[in-house]
Amino acid sequence: MKTLLIACLAALPVLAAPQQFQLNLDAVAAKASQHVDVSLNSATLQFAAKFLDADNPDESRVRKLIEGIEGIYVRHYNFKAAGTWTQADLEPIRAQLRGPEWSKIVGSTNAEDGGSTEVWLHLAGNKTIGVAIVATDPKEVTVVNIAGNIDLEALAKLGGHFGVPKVKPADKPQKEE
Amino acid sequence: MDWLEDELRRALARQEAPVGFADHVMARRAVRPSGARRWLAAAAMVVVAAGAAGAWRQYQGYEAKREVMLALRLSAAPMHRVQLEVRSISQ
Repeated sequence: MKTLLIACLAALPVLAAPQQFQLNLDAVAAKASQHVDVSLNSATLQFAAKFLDADNPDESRVRKLIEGIEGIYVRHYNFKAAGTWTQADLEPIRAQLRGPEWSKIVGSTNAEDGGSTEVWLHLAGNKTIGVAIVATDPKEVTVVNIAGNIDLEALAKLGGHFGVPKVKPADKPQKEE
Repeated sequence: MDWLEDELRRALARQEAPVGFADHVMARRAVRPSGARRWLAAAAMVVVAAGAAGAWRQYQGYEAKREVMLALRLSAAPMHRVQLEVRSISQ
């Protein structure tokens, strides 16, 4: 009974946080010059949605996009020089994404700028319940986990549109629970 | 008219204050504010506290919005890059 209780208590944080893989990027973080760390759970997303202006087309688009999302977890690192980080630093992330519940849908590499992007879907049966994005270039690493149902087409369009204001990454990690 | 003058003089004659009069006056000065005043002060405090709580909530809301925008910007940028690459390949 005691063991069961301990197991239930241990499971609580997992249930509370819908993050779908561990963003264990200590090796990358240790080498980065700048670091952005955003963790937004469902409650924070819903709260933020109330402050998005429905009359503003860009904010309205963002509001619609986050409707089905249960959490967004982003780690973004900037490096002063190319070659500071290595592919081995990202192995803890890729090892998790090689699990059977993840399916890689896009993997692109740009020979010109040395950038690469991988997009993985988290599947539960036939249903997509999350997305992982691993984007790198020689001086940047971005790892994203979006839990829930997200329209990837709309997300990509948002990336090209840029009503989303440009925010400089902070020197220190920003945390939001 | 002498009797009237006598009456007036007697009525308006200087009299010493009763013993303890000064203390009594000072004690009345120190009396606590009335119930209505206290309620008014409490109501003012509630209004100020509610205003501060509202402003704090507003601040938190805009902070949350800023974080959402930042997270989506960082997520959307690589997706957009992939979309462009896929389009250029398919063309």
